[in-house]
Amino acid sequence: MKSIEQLFSFKGKVIIITGAAGAIGGAAGHLFASLGANVVISDLNGEGAKKVAAEITAESGVEALGIQTNATVEAELDTLVQTTLEKFGKISGLINNVGWGAATPIWESDTDKMVKSYLLNTVGAYNLTKRCMPYLEKEPNASVVFSGSLVGVTPSPEFIEYSTAKAGLMNLVRSMAVVSGPKVRFNTVLIGSVDNGDSTLAAGYDPEMLRRLSEAFVMKRRGFPMEIAYGMMFLMSNAAEWITGIDLRIDGGGTYKSKMPKKD
Amino acid sequence: MKLNHLFDLSGKVAVVTGGGNGIGKAVCMMLSRAGASVAVGDLKYEDAQHVADEIKAEGGKAIAVACNVTVDEELVNMVDETVKAFGKVNVLVNNAGGGGGGRENPSKISVDDFAWRFKLNVYSAWRLSQLCAPHMEKDGYGSIINITSMSSINRSPNMSAYAASKAAMNHMTANLAMDYGGGKIRVNAVGPGATKTAALASVLTPEIEAKMLAHTPIKRLGEVDDIAGAVLYFAAPISEWVSGETLFVNGGGVQTLD
Ligand SMILES: NC(=O)c1ccc[n+]([C@@H]2O[C@H](COP(=O)([O-])OP(=O)(O)OC[C@H]3O[C@@H](n4cnc5c(N)ncnc54)[C@H](O)[C@@H]3O)[C@@H](O)[C@H]2O)c1
Ligand SMILES: NC(=O)c1ccc[n+]([C@@H]2O[C@H](COP(=O)([O-])OP(=O)(O)OC[C@H]3O[C@@H](n4cnc5c(N)ncnc54)[C@H](O)[C@@H]3O)[C@@H](O)[C@H]2O)c1
Repeated sequence: MKSIEQLFSFKGKVIIITGAAGAIGGAAGHLFASLGANVVISDLNGEGAKKVAAEITAESGVEALGIQTNATVEAELDTLVQTTLEKFGKISGLINNVGWGAATPIWESDTDKMVKSYLLNTVGAYNLTKRCMPYLEKEPNASVVFSGSLVGVTPSPEFIEYSTAKAGLMNLVRSMAVVSGPKVRFNTVLIGSVDNGDSTLAAGYDPEMLRRLSEAFVMKRRGFPMEIAYGMMFLMSNAAEWITGIDLRIDGGGTYKSKMPKKD
Repeated sequence: MKLNHLFDLSGKVAVVTGGGNGIGKAVCMMLSRAGASVAVGDLKYEDAQHVADEIKAEGGKAIAVACNVTVDEELVNMVDETVKAFGKVNVLVNNAGGGGGGRENPSKISVDDFAWRFKLNVYSAWRLSQLCAPHMEKDGYGSIINITSMSSINRSPNMSAYAASKAAMNHMTANLAMDYGGGKIRVNAVGPGATKTAALASVLTPEIEAKMLAHTPIKRLGEVDDIAGAVLYFAAPISEWVSGETLFVNGGGVQTLD
């Protein structure tokens, strides 16, 4: 049996994380670096990415790279892959974490909004994974983790552009998994509501709505970004060598609404 | 963040059923290496003793308990013995189980045999959860992990009793997660695909293995450590916001025979 250190060490690994200036991607960057990996912090917000990378390097003593990348622009994905290879020489893991969606009344979306959401939440992950595949295939226990969302598996008429794109992402992951074993593993973390500061507010929530949302979870709270990062880390680790094509729900036990609602 | 901190179970107490061999043994060793004191329960007391001795030889803490999970008094006794030895219970791994292997021809299996699978796989896990929950509640940290099976969502020939009992475990997992709610006690399940143990060896031939791998993206059968690693994730505080989940560890495929 391998020791716990052998199972969960990421020394010598190079991991690209997208949307990593944000809450969940940033937490993943800190976690993987603390376990020994060189992380590439990529984000549309280039300054944010560089700042997070500098913090990670200072904290962990392992070199991290911050780089501006718009995940929906293919030429920028080429640059991301090239820069990673020049700097660290390989790609052992990828976390396709970019994603976002705003509340829209179900009949008020349109082609442009639907397509934009698909490009951001689904196609960008496909394009980057495709570019990383030749390098991932060379590395032991290489794997790709995707940030899925509970809105992609439950009816979510409030977020129709986002929820349908996230549903597509899950199917993409399963398809990649069945054809890419044994060389590369593909898994999704299915995320419940996680406190990411202003981003949730920008998606249409106010503090009172967030309080009620917290109450709806079996665990009576929203998640912390690091709790999602822990799941990503488990799925990428040597302990998960025989896990591919699955969705790991990290969602506070799910939500539950009583059929006998109390007045409040 | 230090690794031993992320997976630290020191000061925690684990109960594992069917801990004398196979997956259960790997789980006992893994939880011990993460720092937990382990009560190794098994129908075969000697096998449980061997595992407890191995743990102690590595510097861990363990006791062996004779426990047939289909006998209620023995379940009660195992929890009592654990609390007597270690003062509490934090982690319960319902691993003892059986049936399956394509030996459940619907026109031949008896009512008693069908019921026995539910008694062994479902009832024992429910009863032990009931017995351990008050101790978990009291200590403020509880994680129950049910070992179900890939067969719970596959369609396989001559597996209706075992598969249905394991599907019942998945759903019981989700329901108990809600009942215990609130964060102190989490309930999750790990669903192994075909994993190399004595139980599998009793039905495995090279031809069957080749057929199984034909549907498995990661081209090998499971090792007991693959399952134990997933159990460790659910046992450790890093999965504090995860409950009601069934995680399949199956090489990405189904190891059905056609
Ligand atoms: N927070 C939640 O409640 C929640 C729930 C379910 C799923 N998720 C998913 O988790 C992932 C991360 O979410 P978060 O909560 O950390 O969000 P966040 O808003 O904190 O971070 C997202 C990051 O992505 C970046 N980004 C946006 N568009 C981009 C683009 N075109 N190219 C590159 N980067 C871009 C942003 O600059 C930001 O730094 C997303 O895929 C999200 O859909 C989050
Ligand atoms: N091995 C596989 O391919 C596989 C696949 C899916 C699920 N599982 C599940 O994993 C669990 C463990 O299986 P394994 O393959 O490690 O089996 P195993 O036969 O290798 O070990 C089972 C252990 O449980 C003990 N046991 C049997 N009946 C018991 C009882 N009534 N009370 C207490 N202990 C008892 C045995 O003495 C033995 O030590 C079972 O629940 C099984 O259904 C196994």
